[in-house]
Amino acid sequence: MSIQEHYRSRAKELLSAGTVKMVIGYGAGSTPDRRRPVFITSPDEADRLVLDTTCRTNLSGYLLREGLLSDQKQVAVFLTVDGIRSLNVLAAESQLDTSQVLVFGFGIEGDQARAIEGERAADFKSVIAAAKEQRKSQPADELQEKLEAMTPKERFSFWEGEFSRCIKCYACRQACPMCWCRRCVVDNNQPQWVNTSSHTLGNLEWNLLRAFHLAGRCVECGNCSRACPADIPLHLLNRRMADEVQASFDHYPGMDEAQEPVLASFRKDDPETFIL
Amino acid sequence: MSEVFEPKIVAFVCTYCTYAGADLAGTSRLKYPSNVRIVRLPCTGRISPMFILKALQKGADGVLVSGCHPGDCHFDHGNYHARRRWTVFNSLLQFAGVPEERVKFSWISAAEGIKFAELIRDITEDIRKIGPFEEYHTLIAETGSAAPL
Ligand code: SF4
Ligand code: SF4
Repeated sequence: MSIQEHYRSRAKELLSAGTVKMVIGYGAGSTPDRRRPVFITSPDEADRLVLDTTCRTNLSGYLLREGLLSDQKQVAVFLTVDGIRSLNVLAAESQLDTSQVLVFGFGIEGDQARAIEGERAADFKSVIAAAKEQRKSQPADELQEKLEAMTPKERFSFWEGEFSRCIKCYACRQACPMCWCRRCVVDNNQPQWVNTSSHTLGNLEWNLLRAFHLAGRCVECGNCSRACPADIPLHLLNRRMADEVQASFDHYPGMDEAQEPVLASFRKDDPETFIL
Repeated sequence: MSEVFEPKIVAFVCTYCTYAGADLAGTSRLKYPSNVRIVRLPCTGRISPMFILKALQKGADGVLVSGCHPGDCHFDHGNYHARRRWTVFNSLLQFAGVPEERVKFSWISAAEGIKFAELIRDITEDIRKIGPFEEYHTLIAETGSAAPL
């Protein structure tokens, strides 16, 4: 049985038995290589579910839809390892209770989607631990290496060029499962920290604040970069932050739901190479 | 340009250590450049990275962020939290291409008037050497609003 069939029948089973009230998954999109999120609530709709290598979006953010989990019923959701990590971050930040979430885990390897064993967030501990190890040995992005080798002036002008294209649509924020604040600092106008008009200065500050806010929380799922209509390589900023928290604090976000947020905790012997 | 460049520096300091240190520098009649504008806050834990960006946006050529040495925080651990934040934010600033001379971090205790005066002297000199933060000033000019600093 293909993984798609496997999860379709699992969805039917769970919905018919009333174990879950909804399955959040992928359905056909506007083009053959696009998928869109679908929210299945009855067993006969389960055949709309699609699972293949084009299923890239991290769906965990939909769990935070206002009121969705407030009736204590369960919801099943398709998640990759990144998605499961973001689920753990959300639980660690008290945004949801993982006992209400059933995971349809999957991974994409080459031209195939395959299932990952487990159903509860806690079942994936070893998979996540392996992902952490793998990240450590992962070679740096080519563009990232190029940037690191530049002078500060060159780097500044690289980002100036990138951020000049930002149209402040905030799609990157909307697409990110971790951007759950009800009121975002950029919507604040008393005082206004970040200019609302999309000039390069405001864009630079917006993008830096976004990256900082996600430091130690971003699971590198790529939702933000995929959502950006201006093709700004947001992942480079996220990645740099992820490198930093892993190197300085051995922090890999989303290990489990009891993990302390890295910027809300400290160790007395944290490194401080640059402080005078 | 005939005018001598005078760096504009904003220092975000905690009231219990670095501000007291600056005060000591003053009462001890130590000389240091008048290029620094001090913003006093209750604790380094209150110093948000947004303050740093805001200072640059208002036309600062350099920023100093300073508080109590680890272990000396009036609130016990505000500076430990700040340290983690600075580590991450500093790394982000480097990656964004903000020269490291422009944003500095330090621990200065209430007894370190001399350290404060010397640090301000050094930072001012360093920034005098590299000049105004032209790249940022250009971006500010594009917004059409004057940098009030
Ligand atoms: S910042 Fe981007 S990559 Fe990171 S969790 Fe949010 S959407 Fe995913
Ligand atoms: S999605 Fe892209 S264009 Fe839109 S606000 Fe984010 S960075 Fe700017």
